[in-house]
Amino acid sequence: MIEPLKVLIVEDEALLAMELECLIEDAGHHVVGWAMSSDEAKALVDTGQADIAFVDVHLADGPTGVDVAEHIRQSGRPMVVFMTANPKRIPDNFAGAIGVISKPYTMNGLMSALHYLQEGVRRPPPASVLPAGFALSPAFASAWAPSAG
Amino acid sequence: MDSKRTREPPDAWHMTDDLHVEHGKGDPFAAAIRATRMSMLITDPRKPDNPIVFVNDSFLRLTGYGREEVMGKNCRFLQGPDTNPASVAEVRAAVAEGNDVSIDILNYRKDGSSFWNALYISPVYNDKGDLLFFFASQLDVSDRKLSEQQIAADKERVEQAVKERTCELQAALETQTALLHEVDHRVKNNLQMISSLILMQSRTIQDEAVKQSLITMLERIEALSTMHRRLYQSQDVSKFDVSDFARDLVSDLLATSGRPQITSKLELEPIVVPAEKATPVALIVNELVTNALKHAFKDNGGSIGIKMTQPDGHLILEVSDDGVGMDGKATDGTFGMRLIRQLGRQLRAEVEWRNASPGTRVIVRMPNETEQKKETP
Repeated sequence: MIEPLKVLIVEDEALLAMELECLIEDAGHHVVGWAMSSDEAKALVDTGQADIAFVDVHLADGPTGVDVAEHIRQSGRPMVVFMTANPKRIPDNFAGAIGVISKPYTMNGLMSALHYLQEGVRRPPPASVLPAGFALSPAFASAWAPSAG
Repeated sequence: MDSKRTREPPDAWHMTDDLHVEHGKGDPFAAAIRATRMSMLITDPRKPDNPIVFVNDSFLRLTGYGREEVMGKNCRFLQGPDTNPASVAEVRAAVAEGNDVSIDILNYRKDGSSFWNALYISPVYNDKGDLLFFFASQLDVSDRKLSEQQIAADKERVEQAVKERTCELQAALETQTALLHEVDHRVKNNLQMISSLILMQSRTIQDEAVKQSLITMLERIEALSTMHRRLYQSQDVSKFDVSDFARDLVSDLLATSGRPQITSKLELEPIVVPAEKATPVALIVNELVTNALKHAFKDNGGSIGIKMTQPDGHLILEVSDDGVGMDGKATDGTFGMRLIRQLGRQLRAEVEWRNASPGTRVIVRMPNETEQKKETP
């Protein structure tokens, strides 16, 4: 059994954050915090509890999700996965993030992505197939799925 | 006028006609030069400041000067305030080097009016290579110049107008695209919210049957979500790639069905349908696949096959399983069946259930004019 993930949710829609929390807990992981704005998110990142952050690109204080990812990259921890309905907003280098889960995701799609990420974070590279609806950043694509090119 | 040297002994011409004076009028060449309507002059570079030593009457008519006013002067008196210094420099350089030059230059008459002068200057050498004269002709090309300038101005105006219009269209397109993205973004978020609401509600329900029907509803909405995500991922939002959608849907449904012993067999030709058919097609595929997943197999595993072909202007979708079969139990009454039937009617599709022994095979055959995707221009 792989050790569960400690997840930070950065999402300004309460409903989506709630659902995400349910699904993450269902899959046996822990949610260590929920931030709605970039400031809240940065503060939570700095507590250093999370292994992975699910970051919406659009937050309560504007399209600041990418800033949060940059902040996380500089802090060195945790890893970032974007969750957005508009993947085109993400910069080409993904601000160091692992990849993006496109909204609307399905319950099963999210579960598969969680499983894949658990393997990737705990025992990289992941053994499972890249789930539909989840896209890797170029950097992680070459590290985790080199054949997929 | 391309040769710098004349074959004639240069003196011959000079000797027969001293250009300063009136005699030598019998020389036919000199007479021609004097009489031609082309304005012409000769300068002597061996004298200080390269003065004019001959002008014909045409030159005087063109410039408005009297002969006595120009003889012995350097030609620069023809220049004026708007004469392009670069053109003057070009003429000067050619003269200094003893080369010929051809240039349109703005010159001025005695009365101060200007004209465009198609100036041609060529040097005259003797056999020893000594520079003897410069021979210059002037042609008033103001009309041509004017129409050139007008054409250039017209062209510039048209180009400017085109540029402005292009900018306007570009801006309009950007607004449209931004609007489309905004609407797309909202639709996606709302679909996600609807899924979230149903999912979270279902978690609080104890009654297994009610819970199941909520989950089924969630799956239908998620099928629409997957369809929507796929549609807006593509370059062309007017076309929907059914085969990519089916691949996503099946992997999604199988991955976490919690039944790893059920496998899938996909035979998907790349097929697109118009976007307005995306919803009914997506829902039918979802119904057929979830139906097979839920009812075809008891506790043991099996295989679900999905095949999409487009042989003759018809999209043919086959969903098959090697499970328990329809076993005579009429499923006609369920909502799922009604959904398939009604959506099938909307698509003008024929839907056929076959007992495949083992299992069930459902064949949906619908008209689909769109060609197969790939390198259609």
